[in-house]
Amino acid sequence: MIWSVWQPSQKQPWDVKRVKHLLRRSGFSPDWKTIQAGLSNGVEKTIDQVLDFGPQDESTQQFESLAKTIGEAAVGADSADRLRAWWIFRMIMTPKPLEERLTLLWHNHFATSNHKVNSVAAMYEQNLHLRTHCLGKFSDLLRSVVKTPAMMIWLDASTNRKEHPNENLGRELLELFTLGEGNYNERDVTEAARSLTGWTVTTQKVHVEPAYHDPGKKTILGTTHSFNGDGLLDFLVKQPATARRIAWRLCQMFFGEQIVDEPAMKALADGLLAHDLDLKWAVETILRSELFFSDANIRSRIASPVEYVIGAIRCLEMNKHPPSTFFLAAQLRHLGQDLFHPPSVFGWPEGRAWIDTRSVLARTQFAEQLVEGQFHQSKTPLDVSILPKQYGLANSRKQTQAFFADLIGNEVDSASVAKAETNANDEDTMLRQMIAKAISSIDNQII
Amino acid sequence: MLNRRQILKGAALFSLAPTIPVFMKSAGAAEKSNDRILVVIQLSGGNDGLNTIVPWKNEAYAANRRELRLKEESLIRIDDETALHPSMGRMAELLQDGRLAIVQGVGYPNPNRSHEASMAIWHTAKTDVDEHRSDGWLGQALDTFAPQSRGPTGVSVSDEVIPAALRSHRTMVASIDSLQDFQVKSFPMQRASSSINGSNSSPLAEFMERTTLDAYATASQIDSLMTQSASKGVSELSKLDGPLARRLKIVSDLIRADFGPRVYYTQQSGYDTHAGQLNTHSQLLGSLSNGLKAFLDDIESAGNADRVAVLCFSEFGRQVAENSSAGTDHGTAGPVFLAGKSFQSGLHGRPVDLSQLDQNAPSHTVDFRSIYVEILREWLQVKPDVKLGPFESKLSLFHG
Repeated sequence: MIWSVWQPSQKQPWDVKRVKHLLRRSGFSPDWKTIQAGLSNGVEKTIDQVLDFGPQDESTQQFESLAKTIGEAAVGADSADRLRAWWIFRMIMTPKPLEERLTLLWHNHFATSNHKVNSVAAMYEQNLHLRTHCLGKFSDLLRSVVKTPAMMIWLDASTNRKEHPNENLGRELLELFTLGEGNYNERDVTEAARSLTGWTVTTQKVHVEPAYHDPGKKTILGTTHSFNGDGLLDFLVKQPATARRIAWRLCQMFFGEQIVDEPAMKALADGLLAHDLDLKWAVETILRSELFFSDANIRSRIASPVEYVIGAIRCLEMNKHPPSTFFLAAQLRHLGQDLFHPPSVFGWPEGRAWIDTRSVLARTQFAEQLVEGQFHQSKTPLDVSILPKQYGLANSRKQTQAFFADLIGNEVDSASVAKAETNANDEDTMLRQMIAKAISSIDNQII
Repeated sequence: MLNRRQILKGAALFSLAPTIPVFMKSAGAAEKSNDRILVVIQLSGGNDGLNTIVPWKNEAYAANRRELRLKEESLIRIDDETALHPSMGRMAELLQDGRLAIVQGVGYPNPNRSHEASMAIWHTAKTDVDEHRSDGWLGQALDTFAPQSRGPTGVSVSDEVIPAALRSHRTMVASIDSLQDFQVKSFPMQRASSSINGSNSSPLAEFMERTTLDAYATASQIDSLMTQSASKGVSELSKLDGPLARRLKIVSDLIRADFGPRVYYTQQSGYDTHAGQLNTHSQLLGSLSNGLKAFLDDIESAGNADRVAVLCFSEFGRQVAENSSAGTDHGTAGPVFLAGKSFQSGLHGRPVDLSQLDQNAPSHTVDFRSIYVEILREWLQVKPDVKLGPFESKLSLFHG
């Protein structure tokens, strides 16, 4: 009942506001044609498309093949800058925005920083695992991500010996990846660390070394068993607390502040447990729900730097002649979301934590520099005539302004349009200033 | 009386004028402030206290630390039992000058070994997880001060999220990681005021609106202050490498320019040394020690030695026995440093008892809240309505 399917009604119609809501929460701010397609396709089909990770059409294959070339080149050059640029390329070009957003969600959940790992190859491999399983079974995701060289190095597991187990991986496995704080005790941490002894890294591969493993009995959450690393992971994914934490993590992406109450969270966690932690089941349940489309949930969440930056580029269709992905990576770092370099094992705190005096100024500057072409190698300012013409909305200056206001904003703010006019020397500059202002407006940052 | 919002709104409107408003021009001419300032350096990750303030004569130290035992001849001795890590030469100088107090064995009952939970305990001064959403121990103190007329009362100098210790109800807290970022050339108030004139009324929109106003107020103040008071003389801090020295230089510049905040909060991360600890730990303590000494010298040369105090803490110490990776896992109590002329220099409290361990970690001998109480009462002179619980001030950390 709690997660019942939303149906459009007279009071809650399937309109531009809800099309944008769906596409922004499940991806990035959509461009004009995607908004129009969503309107005419209806909610059910639009969600089908969002969730469609099925067989690839030709353009998707081309995208994937180009992305692979860029990613492997970054690994070949062992360049962290090129690795960041690779992911940004994926995010601005992908036909499946949900895939990148979920990959980012899991990057945050299994927060691993190249600052310590110091291996582009290992970080790239981990990112591919995150993407492969981002909408699959959580157990597959957990196994593939935890047992990678990146994670082993990040949490010092590779030197974990039975004589003196290293608790780092064991603790974060319980606290962050599965159960969550408060659902285990210090004894469980020690016993988990014992179970994980023997996992090690040799020549960039995870390897299980029986001589290092402590084969004895361990008692974890009251269950006594001669756990090894794999057995421990299997045991943890069956715990209700893990389902609960995964439900919470998904809601962090799809809902605003205080939207999901205790019964709803519990129902989602119970459903996840009953569906073997099937992430696709959970995401689909969320996206189709009344709660997701409720008025309270619309415009109730602060855009992360990635959503802010990539959203601006995609909605303005700048991905046809994209800005330098290196410049964009530097911007994301400046705005507080340095890809592949989360601040700690806790990842990025999300929500209001994105906004402080520093980031407010940086977001405004980003928007101004973006429209003036500062992130393009050519430094060519945004050509404001192309999109309105393409969509037949360039008949008057007013119509053009309204087009951009509708595209970027949530509600047209004619006051800010009028103010922008006073400063500029020519019409195009004025329009670009208006666009920058719309991007950095509070209106566009609460999405 | 105007409240802070109204003042800021006034400032925003005022500054629509094309020239720099009058009140900002006069900022440099104002009388130098006498307000006392607290600078916090958070050592994030859990500092290995045992290899920082070393009980070099203790048999349990030698027995538990095979790989990680610091060589006796390299240690800087404080007394017959206690020594400083070899990288802490500059802090040893501070100790000799009478500018460093070291409180041993600081922790709290029923220690939590999660970074996040333990940090929340230190930030809120509450051991109950249910109370971890409450205001920070410093945020509560800041709320009792009169607001600064032109800028923030608390500043986080870091590229990370503002720590919960500064969370408050009424106080403007700014986050700064580079002064250049705040020296905005095009005067930004106009943009701020127009972007908040919309129909936003949700709590989230109000939060964004408030932060935007704070940002532009902070920017305009920093811009005018830094233009007037270009840093005088060469600071040792500029010669040091690393993020801590860079951030302490920002704090030093802002205090010299009489920026106004009562609390500056910065962080040094990397203390989570589960593996290969010796080198990392030595570098971290070296940066801390060099940075702290250079910072205090800067403060002194600007004539502010009597009004600046520094607190250094970490969310927990580490376990006594090392692990198999030449590292240490999360533990409990550890040392706290208090630096500045106003402290009673030397060792305070009792060392932890290494013969009584629970899950490989000792019990605390000093509750961190008794340090907080002295800082609040005697240094920041906060009214006693900031309640941290029944913690007596009996350490006598401050002179007279």
